[in-house]
Amino acid sequence: MTEFAVNIGLEVHIQLNSQSKAFCADSILFGQAPNTQISPISLAYPGTLPKINEAQIKKAVQLALAVDSEIREVSYFDRKSYFYPDLPKGYQLTQDNAPYCKGGHLDIIVGETLKRVAIHHIHMEEDAGKSIHTLDPKNSMIDLNRAGTPLLELVTDPCLETAEEAYQFLSRLRSLIRYLGISDGNMEQGSMRADCNVSIRPKVSTKLGERCEVKNVNSLRFAKKAIDYEINRQTKVIKAGGTIRQTTMDFDADKGVTRPLRDKEDVHDYRYFPDPDLPPLVLTKKYIQEVRAAMPVLPWEIENKMIEEHGISQQQAQTFAYDPELRSRFQEQLKLYPSAKKLANLYSNKIIPYIQSEGVSIKEMNLLNDQICGLLQLIDNGEVSSSKAYQLIFPELMKSDESPRNIAQRLDLIMAQSSDAELETLFKTIFDDNSEKVKAYQSGKKGLLGFFMGQAMKASGGKLNPKKAKDILQRMLDNQ
Amino acid sequence: MKIDHELILKLEKLARLKLSEDQRSKMIEDLNDMLKMVNKLDELDLHDVEPLLHLSNQYNVTRTDKVEDHMDRDAALANAPDSDNEYFKVPKVIKK
Repeated sequence: MTEFAVNIGLEVHIQLNSQSKAFCADSILFGQAPNTQISPISLAYPGTLPKINEAQIKKAVQLALAVDSEIREVSYFDRKSYFYPDLPKGYQLTQDNAPYCKGGHLDIIVGETLKRVAIHHIHMEEDAGKSIHTLDPKNSMIDLNRAGTPLLELVTDPCLETAEEAYQFLSRLRSLIRYLGISDGNMEQGSMRADCNVSIRPKVSTKLGERCEVKNVNSLRFAKKAIDYEINRQTKVIKAGGTIRQTTMDFDADKGVTRPLRDKEDVHDYRYFPDPDLPPLVLTKKYIQEVRAAMPVLPWEIENKMIEEHGISQQQAQTFAYDPELRSRFQEQLKLYPSAKKLANLYSNKIIPYIQSEGVSIKEMNLLNDQICGLLQLIDNGEVSSSKAYQLIFPELMKSDESPRNIAQRLDLIMAQSSDAELETLFKTIFDDNSEKVKAYQSGKKGLLGFFMGQAMKASGGKLNPKKAKDILQRMLDNQ
Repeated sequence: MKIDHELILKLEKLARLKLSEDQRSKMIEDLNDMLKMVNKLDELDLHDVEPLLHLSNQYNVTRTDKVEDHMDRDAALANAPDSDNEYFKVPKVIKK
């Protein structure tokens, strides 16, 4: 049986969060009334002259620097010609022949393994307008607010091998562009869009198979689903003796299937040629150096430093690295509480899951640093069991400024701080009442430890420090 | 490169134009003449010469990222063959 290997390459469109469009001064604000953010340039009136937005250049250079891409000193723009009503010029301004940067990489973690994903190049371009087909039975309606919005297109090598890797890559890239502050990376609103190129080949072969490109995946989850579907579909076709032809597919999120979007007849001929209206773009070493100097420390540098300094897990360090707000809270709290590991565990067990499930920020959680540290101290002191602290006290912290100690007292969760002698007396009584069980324990039924603990808990009304009690119980039983 | 009937049909399709047979023959002739003229350059050894993509010496003609006044929507829609109060109307195009 032939085994197949999968090659996935991604083309990711990133909508930049500038104020104005790529080549003219219209606003790019999302969700405005149709055709209210337009100008003679975005409508392609004859005689208008495009002029490139400084913000697009700067954001483009930031991304290139972050992924270690080689920036071309001189690049220029091409016209990609095709007819569609939401493209008034009849061509899209893009960089085909000389994109502003080439190469680069972004590291992802899949399971426990680090994978370096090679980036082929990134180029600058502009978005088209929006066609709406559902408002009118006979006509398509055109809204040109989006026409000319600045985009970066990042293209990876076909080096991803599973849908999970593609998912991790997109997720990483989205975090990165948000971190750099160049895009809001919102896939549902279309500010990050991925086209997924999927091909399969026999494992023994090194030649790539024919690829199918899946368009219109507007969430990370859909990207994963669409790729998995496509891998299965292609494998079935080939196993049944068929061949895969290069096709553009559409992903139907409702049904979870991919479908051909265009037939072969319609293969595009874009006739790229240099745009004569836009002079070349020159990115000098000095300019690049200025952009670099103003960039924040990159997340993976922070991640490595945090692992080294605090001994926290890579997953934890990564979360902090990409979220400056969360990280600064963690660091404030570390000044009040000594164990970075325990603090980080509270984040991964309670705080981050809460942020994710409720869709709030750490600020909106209304947690005081003193409360967080106080909670951990209660556990450390053996005053409250960690499970009770997590399950019962933690949710209370968000309701008010009440101290964890007050909450513990109010909910009657403070464990008795019995002395060793008190505990010994308690266990002696239990042994006397259950001498049979003590003998059974000593003849090997070690499971009875739990029975004795249960008796002690019952006698104390559930408020013993279980760890301390267990240590003493163990010692007493072994010395009986 | 040679301009022939087949290429003209392809260009018609790409340009969304429909030529008559007479116009096609004339177009084939014209385009072949233009190519012949440009092909004169082949007589020179140009392998070390960078293509001239832009005629001026300008570069980095940029603008600051600032929103300026938008065009009035009614004025924009008034130039369109068909519109409602909000959208340009075009014959139905279905992407799928």
